[in-house]
Amino acid sequence: MRKRRSISQAYARQDPCVDTPASVPHHEAPLSSQSLRPYLQCVRSSLTAALSLSNFASQASERHNVPEIEAASSPEVLLNPLTVSRNENEKVYIEPSINSVRISIKIKQADEIEHILVHKFTRFLTQRAEAFFILRRKPVKGYDISFLITNFHTEEMLKHKLVDFIIQFMEEVDKEISEMKLFLNARARFVAESFLTPFD
Amino acid sequence: MANVNWRTINIDALDPDSPANFDLSSLTPSVTPVSTADVQSTAGQIRQLLRGGDNEGALQGALENPPYGGDDKGKEVHLATVIEILQSIRQADMSPILSRLYSAPGGTEVLDVLMKYIYKGMAQSNAANAANTANSSRMLTPQHTSTRMLTPQTTGFSQISSRGGEGGGQAMSVLLSWHEKLVEIAGPGSIVRVMADRRTV
Amino acid sequence: MLLLDYQNVLIESLLRDRFAEGASPVSIDQVVSDFDGVTFHISTPEGKTKIVVSINVKCFAELVQYGAQAILEREYGPYIVAPEQGYDFSVQVDLESLPEDQEAKDDLVRRISLLKRNAMAAPFENAFDEFKQLQEEASKYTSESAPQGVKEGGETRAIHYRDEEAIYIKASHDRVTVIFSTVFREETDRIFGKVFLQEFVDARRRAIQNAPQVLFRNDPPLELEGIPGINNSGSGEIGYITFVLFPRHLTDQRRADVISHIQTFRDYFHYHIKASKAFIHTRMRKRTADFLQVLRRARPEAEEKERKTATGRTFKVAS
Repeated sequence: MRKRRSISQAYARQDPCVDTPASVPHHEAPLSSQSLRPYLQCVRSSLTAALSLSNFASQASERHNVPEIEAASSPEVLLNPLTVSRNENEKVYIEPSINSVRISIKIKQADEIEHILVHKFTRFLTQRAEAFFILRRKPVKGYDISFLITNFHTEEMLKHKLVDFIIQFMEEVDKEISEMKLFLNARARFVAESFLTPFD
Repeated sequence: MANVNWRTINIDALDPDSPANFDLSSLTPSVTPVSTADVQSTAGQIRQLLRGGDNEGALQGALENPPYGGDDKGKEVHLATVIEILQSIRQADMSPILSRLYSAPGGTEVLDVLMKYIYKGMAQSNAANAANTANSSRMLTPQHTSTRMLTPQTTGFSQISSRGGEGGGQAMSVLLSWHEKLVEIAGPGSIVRVMADRRTV
Repeated sequence: MLLLDYQNVLIESLLRDRFAEGASPVSIDQVVSDFDGVTFHISTPEGKTKIVVSINVKCFAELVQYGAQAILEREYGPYIVAPEQGYDFSVQVDLESLPEDQEAKDDLVRRISLLKRNAMAAPFENAFDEFKQLQEEASKYTSESAPQGVKEGGETRAIHYRDEEAIYIKASHDRVTVIFSTVFREETDRIFGKVFLQEFVDARRRAIQNAPQVLFRNDPPLELEGIPGINNSGSGEIGYITFVLFPRHLTDQRRADVISHIQTFRDYFHYHIKASKAFIHTRMRKRTADFLQVLRRARPEAEEKERKTATGRTFKVAS
């Protein structure tokens, strides 16, 4: 009963496929937030499913316990990777294994400025990977930033909060990048006008 | 030989007893090989159903016969078929169809297969093109125009105009909707089964 | 701090202190740096009352070629002394023979602190004069019949004021073109610079109609054709920014300000690129701290447990 209601609510909130009255045009903002929500929702459920980790000692070398997804020394403990994508430029790649999950995020970069800002920001974060526990020091090829969550992380931290963190990270990063870009443009405009005003 | 750096040789790969050489086929349930031609003929039948307006039957038919034993080409063909069906179903009909599939005998299996296809569809980088050519349904049109509208973010310069990379967003958005509905009905377990099942689509 | 000062603040404050009423003379020996690799030396070699200010400019030879000596003589006439060893130009002020009234004193301080500006002003003044001449000449002809020299304008003055960057000035009968070449050391600078320059280009269209026209490109503009030492790699590392000054900016009462102002462009521009980078860094630092906060929430609270020993005493364990 409860379930059905939540489904119909989901319908009421967004439904790009239901024919909308002609008087309601599609605007940019609702469109992007519309496609953002299912994207994040999909990442959330995929991550929740992937974060079922257990302790697993290395089979390759005795008394070692390494993230199998990184070591890749035992193919039978690696699971099928999942890709969640919103479009060509926004993707999450989840590589699960028995004791670790590698999550790589491709952040939207619409132009040169966003590209450099994303690059700077992710480098800034990865240089502080020590403090972030789950941040991988180097992104997987083709992605901007990667996380590595092992069974030790899920043992000492709350799993759903870890998922929350990744989701919030994805939301904020986009916002941060576009705010920084706006700031840069605003500053540039102000600086240019201030310099040229004395000529007027 | 002198140029080979022996420190970088992966000796595990050379040792038949090493875990790196674990025989994965022992984990994979045996599947009967399917030829691409067979897949194509199935696709033809399914399209027929689709043209007849029986979306649900088409979906069920496509999901009950996943070409586990097919080669890459065959799997590709079937993926295109499934995506075409998914795109032809209106969002309002998604949940009812899924509920009916779920309650039918072998429903969990069918929905797991659907989940596999959704992930595979999103993993495809060229899904956009495939979808755009395959797609003839009208449900995409109203949004399509508005996607284009948001394209120009002019700051004036010849910035890399990869905004065109918004491409594929439409096809993905359909898959994401399906995913959401599917998780509501089949539960997160079906995602786990996608990861764990060695039979890939 | 939005716009840069034209004068050198250090020289200004130093001289003002010495010139002040009742200030006792002290011996000074200071090397002061300014933008564009210019160095000043302020010293009292002969006695505490005689202050010598010397300037070293990388491109002094070029400046002299465009009449810097005359301009400096005009500005500093009686104060000029023979250039100090290792410097290009020196002035000396005797504290015992300062002008009487405060206003004249202030003016002297100002003038000396503008030493760099005045030295660099030579090619600009030179070009502005040429513009006037050409304008007069051109007014004698219709636009079709003007002889080639008048139409095209004179030679292009090049001032290599930094190791890899230069200013080019060219006068024509209806405008003076000032071109800055500038180097972007890294990718971020290049892109930030692009954003800034785009706004410079647009500002005229949008808000300030009377501003000079600004153009920006990565390959040398046509005006610089045939000038030796132009880097034509087109690598995008070098940018050329063209300011087109119109007759409106070249009138006698405005030219001093215009010269001062346009000289600060390169440093102003790069200063704001750096400042934006610094701001964005601060922002990222803050955002990183926020993210850490969120991640920390994933850690369950370390609850303090009370435990009992065998004898019944309790003690606390930080889990």
